[in-house]
Amino acid sequence: MGWAKYLEDIVSRHNGTSRVQAEIKKVAEHREQPKPSPKNIGERVMSKLKEFTASTARPLPVLLLADVSGSMSANGKIDALNDAVQEMLESFGGEDDSRAEIHVAVVTFGKDGAKVHQPLAPASKVQWSRMTAAGGTPMGAAFDAATGMIEDRAQIPSRAYRPTIILVSDGQPTDDWQAPLKRLLGAERASKAARFAMGIGDDADEGMLAAFLATAEARVYRAHEARQIKQFFRWVTMSVTQRSRSANPDSVIAAEPTNLDDFNF
Amino acid sequence: MSKRSPDDYFGASAVGPRHRAQGEPNEDSWLGVRGAFGTLVVVSDGMGSRRDARRGAQMACRAVLDAVRAWHKAGSCTLDELLGGIEPRWCSLIAPSTARDCAATCLFALAHVRGQVHVAAIGDGLALLRTQRGLEWVVGPRVAGFGNETDALGHSASWTSRTFPREGGAVVLLATDGVADDLLPERIDGFVQWLMDDFAGMTPSQRWRALQRELKDWPTPHHTDDKTLVVLAQREAVLA
Repeated sequence: MGWAKYLEDIVSRHNGTSRVQAEIKKVAEHREQPKPSPKNIGERVMSKLKEFTASTARPLPVLLLADVSGSMSANGKIDALNDAVQEMLESFGGEDDSRAEIHVAVVTFGKDGAKVHQPLAPASKVQWSRMTAAGGTPMGAAFDAATGMIEDRAQIPSRAYRPTIILVSDGQPTDDWQAPLKRLLGAERASKAARFAMGIGDDADEGMLAAFLATAEARVYRAHEARQIKQFFRWVTMSVTQRSRSANPDSVIAAEPTNLDDFNF
Repeated sequence: MSKRSPDDYFGASAVGPRHRAQGEPNEDSWLGVRGAFGTLVVVSDGMGSRRDARRGAQMACRAVLDAVRAWHKAGSCTLDELLGGIEPRWCSLIAPSTARDCAATCLFALAHVRGQVHVAAIGDGLALLRTQRGLEWVVGPRVAGFGNETDALGHSASWTSRTFPREGGAVVLLATDGVADDLLPERIDGFVQWLMDDFAGMTPSQRWRALQRELKDWPTPHHTDDKTLVVLAQREAVLA
């Protein structure tokens, strides 16, 4: 590294890479290592850095858009969904090897329109209350609720990792969904979310769910029985927890969902 | 140096828990130089997913220094001329690696002998000037997008820059996103004051050790990134 010029005083450069710097450090530490004194010990204990830094881990938000229309009450679908979400929350809450703290919100769409059933909160602190099914399928309103939540920096700060949106539905939307979906996919932040979609039963609108995913590689998962709903959520859980443990939690790791029986653990 | 420089600088960099756990080196780099041009500080953060990110960050620091030397020697006076010379130098320094493999952010502050302080950046992090009137942001807290999203050298990104008159007591703070993303925006003024109060008066080696320790013992839970910060201060501020 011979690029320092005459009359330049380079005190430090590429950290830890200069052999000269390492030598200087070694000598300086030998010469100037202050002896531990009560004052120094006090200074270490009372570092003020905590006053200036965030006291919580960077969040990794997961937002579930859950269809709670009347048809979800048939064939135990809503019960299976409740059980699967509860299991997912327990898995997220039990993650202690994370690079991020997984936060979860649940927006339901049914009789009462789109409603925040579970506000965004750390998964470990969520007290899950079961969803009930009735009414239509106002999915467009749910898209707008999701967009609003993700664009709101008070709820999802910019230091958060990219969110995940999970859409679960068993039927056709009963409101205008195209314009809200366009807003979601065009929004500055919401458009960057990782997206998963599951259609339950034969009546699910697969074309609409594929439009929500909006990428050629992603595919809509189909569930025809309660067991498959749980498998889907196990797959999502695995994908999210892998992200939270990965070197870069913004990278989306998603296993191929073609054989979800592998997730029947 | 026969003449006492009107500026002082200090900084430190610590490898983050992610790289420590993987046995990998720090991908941040920083540089501080006093010369005929004035005083220059640079920080760079190699993009973690890239193969030669560490080299990219190191060469970013060197490219800025080379560009500043050439710019000063040529007697050029516009900041755009200086900024335009950095990326081509970086590209030749990283060769034969590609810009994609070496992507790195680049933030620098030059207290120029002609009486101006130039602060410029490509990518995320923190770059600000603190005067008695308050904080002047060049790269502020993240407002758009999410963590770990950034522009970088080699990605056709444009520079964000500002020029300030030199001013006694003014302090420039540069930091990579490992520091910037965990700082509370409303407490950054206090953070700069703390750096000046508690670290500026130390001897260089004590200061480096103490700062290094603070970065290593970063208090935010589950923090992962490498962390680098550099302060460039008018000497009056250091002695205040």
